[in-house]
Amino acid sequence: MYKLLLALLVVFVSIGHAAAQDKLTISGYVKDAKNGEALLGATVFVPTLGEGVTTNDYGFYSITLPRGTYDISFSYVSYLEEKRQVKLENANVKLDLELKESALVLETVTISSERVDANVRSIEMSVNKVDMRTIQKMPALLGEVDVIRSIQFLPGVTTVGEGATGFNVRGGNVDQNLVLLDEAPVFNSSHLFGFFSVFNPDAVKDVKLIKGGIPAEYGGRVSSILDVRMKEGNSKKFAASGGIGTIFSRLALETPIIKDKGSFIVAARRSYIDVLAKPFLSGDLKDSRFYFYDLTAKANYQIDDKNTVFLSGYFGRDVFGADFGFDWGNTTASARWNHIFSDKLFLNTTAFFSNYDYRLQSDLREPNPQDAFRWNSNIKNYSVKPDFTYYLNSRNKISFGGQMIYYTFQPGKAEAISGGETRIIGQDSKYAIEYAAYLGNEQKLGKNFTLQYGIRYSLYDYIGPGKAYTYGPQTGERREPISTQTYKKGERITRYGNWEPRFSANIGLGDASSIKVSYNRMAQYLHLLSNTAAASPLDVWTPTSNNIKPQLSDQIALGLFKNFKDNLFETSVEVYYKSLQNQVDYIPNSDLLLNPELEGDLLFGDGRAYGAEFFIKKTKGKLNGWLSYTLSRTERQIKGLNNNDWFPSRFDKTHVLNFVGIYDLNQRVSFSLNFTYGTGTPATFPTSKFIWQGYALPHNFYAQRNGYRIPDYHRVDLAAIVKQKKKLFGTGEGEWVFSIYNLYNRRNAFSVYVRQSEDNPSQTEAVRYSVFGSIIPAVTYNFKF
Amino acid sequence: MKNIQWFYFFLLILMGTACQDVIDLETEAGETQLVIDAWVTDESKAQTIKLSLTQPYFDKGGIVPAKGATVIVFSEDSIPYPFVDLKNDGNYVWKPKIAGDKLLQVGKQYALYVKYGAEEYFSISKVNRVPPIDSLNYFKQKFPVAPTDLRQEGYQVDFYAKDPVGKGDCYWVRAYRNDTLFDKPSQIQAVYDGSFSPGGSADGLLFILPIRASASPDLYNANDKVKVELYSIPQEAFFFLQLVRSESTNGGIFATVPTNIPTNIQPLDQKNKKQVLGFFAVSAVSSIETVVDGSKAIPKPSGR
Repeated sequence: MYKLLLALLVVFVSIGHAAAQDKLTISGYVKDAKNGEALLGATVFVPTLGEGVTTNDYGFYSITLPRGTYDISFSYVSYLEEKRQVKLENANVKLDLELKESALVLETVTISSERVDANVRSIEMSVNKVDMRTIQKMPALLGEVDVIRSIQFLPGVTTVGEGATGFNVRGGNVDQNLVLLDEAPVFNSSHLFGFFSVFNPDAVKDVKLIKGGIPAEYGGRVSSILDVRMKEGNSKKFAASGGIGTIFSRLALETPIIKDKGSFIVAARRSYIDVLAKPFLSGDLKDSRFYFYDLTAKANYQIDDKNTVFLSGYFGRDVFGADFGFDWGNTTASARWNHIFSDKLFLNTTAFFSNYDYRLQSDLREPNPQDAFRWNSNIKNYSVKPDFTYYLNSRNKISFGGQMIYYTFQPGKAEAISGGETRIIGQDSKYAIEYAAYLGNEQKLGKNFTLQYGIRYSLYDYIGPGKAYTYGPQTGERREPISTQTYKKGERITRYGNWEPRFSANIGLGDASSIKVSYNRMAQYLHLLSNTAAASPLDVWTPTSNNIKPQLSDQIALGLFKNFKDNLFETSVEVYYKSLQNQVDYIPNSDLLLNPELEGDLLFGDGRAYGAEFFIKKTKGKLNGWLSYTLSRTERQIKGLNNNDWFPSRFDKTHVLNFVGIYDLNQRVSFSLNFTYGTGTPATFPTSKFIWQGYALPHNFYAQRNGYRIPDYHRVDLAAIVKQKKKLFGTGEGEWVFSIYNLYNRRNAFSVYVRQSEDNPSQTEAVRYSVFGSIIPAVTYNFKF
Repeated sequence: MKNIQWFYFFLLILMGTACQDVIDLETEAGETQLVIDAWVTDESKAQTIKLSLTQPYFDKGGIVPAKGATVIVFSEDSIPYPFVDLKNDGNYVWKPKIAGDKLLQVGKQYALYVKYGAEEYFSISKVNRVPPIDSLNYFKQKFPVAPTDLRQEGYQVDFYAKDPVGKGDCYWVRAYRNDTLFDKPSQIQAVYDGSFSPGGSADGLLFILPIRASASPDLYNANDKVKVELYSIPQEAFFFLQLVRSESTNGGIFATVPTNIPTNIQPLDQKNKKQVLGFFAVSAVSSIETVVDGSKAIPKPSGR
């Protein structure tokens, strides 16, 4: 496999050398003039040739042109365009540039570059970027700006319900999203069981959600990539920002290490309700702990023109309990090295570590040698990932690289002590290695035709030490192991390999419209085992094994992109079809925690999802925002469930309509409004009741799953941001954010379930469960200086 | 797991927003099925097997008895124990002929035979061993936050029993306060060896602490009568009880997908497609009782 990739690479590179003799390259970095942050996806455009490139994830660009003199324009959304004349005569040119943020985002005459129609021109489809400044203006639950809650307003993104962990993209499960924080995967993206995401908005620079047309450099999850990039920290001067909200108090500090050469940022958040509650708690509650916090830090240093290093880390934890304690959290650390081999060859190498773990303990305050329960679980992974970009010429951008990930799983181990006698229960640790290599090219063919094609090969080894079980063949019920084999350390238990082809095309239709089409296959070797409505912090990531096959997805998407009124309005319509293989489901009454034979409780099947997404966005002006509508269906077919027929997934929503509107009244005051509507999620209800030992029990005569729907969901949120007139400490800025969540006080159902009546056990009733049953106002104060 | 839900609700109470309300719901009705509720014990007292019919889920009417059936329990020695519907209300009863007479013997298998209309059904169950309940103790408890519909202050009772060595013993703990069974679905406590599940590896252990505490689904007052029964149950009954509990209390953010509670009662004729609901199990019972006396309470253990 490597040989094939290598051969392809050699072909590409040799074409490049043959063709590039009389051409020269301009390359460099594009940064923000105010704080030195790299600008990702800024456009570098040569109007006379009608050719251009965009900066990569580190702000680097490279464009190869015939000898000559060019006017080159550098532009970036809501930044002032810069033009430079470049003479390409004898040598390659290195050109670093800083762009200034336009003084007023709402200025209507900000920029008029020809290339602000990037959404139409670029090869990317099924990609949504949300500007952090937009996220910060949107009304937020309890005033806490939240990346993951915000992306749920994008087309194709849903959730199982309010307050649930994670998100679902185009019919994919929560575990099918690769959530990356500076390239390290985050295994549980939530605080407080799902109410808030782990990303500190003060430290986030850029958020990109890739739902389809996924380039070859990404792999490991079958539905989407959420690529969150952290700020690098102000490399010009010291800056501080923070705020006090309803839930969190926040502080972020950033400062140059050496001006324009390196900087760092440290951002911390902590919930403080426990601090406020402390004086009111007495007795046993006095020692209770309930808080969550996170710490995000990043440093970068430009060693010389060709080498830059970045270090980033995240540490977050939720802590609850008094005697009985429960805490969980993620840790990620990544180190990156950008190296420019030549004006055309860019390398980023990332090494990362990521960990998710939780712990429950019954005797936290005072160890009890007689009766106790102490349980812990974790998943750790270590990875190295070189990614090369070769700017062959202005028409071909080749990317290639690889990744190796070493996983250790501790799915759950507990020490149970009863009457002084100790038992160790749970599962043995598990180990796996995932390798991947990829090669891709983005190729422009003529003015109106761009292709992106690539291939990724992933190889997965499930290795010892460990036990591999073989289970009986029956489905729909618990299977007991029929044989067990023990493997030594490093010994291969099973291996899977998958070719993952990727393809996208952009066909330009005149000035401001294009048709895009894409196909991608993705493979996933990790599975989050979760049999509850919303994923919980206790859910365990489990490796592909001799019993669990890798998940696979194939997705095709077709889109029409068109901009109106000089790119004031961006619109798109996309349709997609996704098929999923080897999807995991569960037998009734499955036992997924601390169960060494849990694989016997799993069921397997297929999934499919299809839909149409309509999106219109107003990019500029006093009033801006977007409206999206998604018509979709997502279903599963699992042997042993629903009489083996297809059934809608838990998060299937036929219609979803989202509106986000931001109105900038003036420089000081802005208002925003969200509206969301979604068809009720599917539910299973009984047909009959039967009385057993006085209990009225439900029974579904047809053994159907998800045959009903709970009431539709809709909600309006409002926010107002008022900047203070007075400067803080001379130069700083303070602002008040007033927000109202669930404006018209609707009791949206998270679920509807049935139970026997409290008063009369032989009678039954249906209950609507609402996570938020009322209007939720909040006030937040933010500052920066 | 319940602890975690508790924390969750605790937080939501702090946020003061989560709510549940009863709503109207219309669902399709299924065909009417026979329900057999046959839980027989080795106690020397009248044993009842209830036969009824399923109703549409939201039907407000009372239980619909299934009358005119033939109900017989056979021992493995082929001795028939007929159950008779004395009051013609679907309650089929067997009574000991003389005091001390028992229907069941530990270690033996029993078969249930039911004929209703033209359909015949059967099931087999075995009486497993049950350990004695060694003791009860109690201490004064006061919860910092008043639990919904439960007492905040009173005596919390633990029972002590030890699982005999040998994997797979299952039990049902039943607690009574002043002769009233704690009968909420969430108070059903099934035990596997000395713990909650087969993976608990609690074989041969003193019942673990949370199970000992299931003698107290609610607190007791001084002079309240406490009675705890321990039923030995077959393994399949353990899973049945787990499902009864989870399917009747299956709400909230971490609810599982509703599923049908399987039965262990089969049609005698394999070709008969008319399935019944319910369960047949035989249990040996050990029990203990006392009256709460404040002066005998033990000091409150740490962490309780």
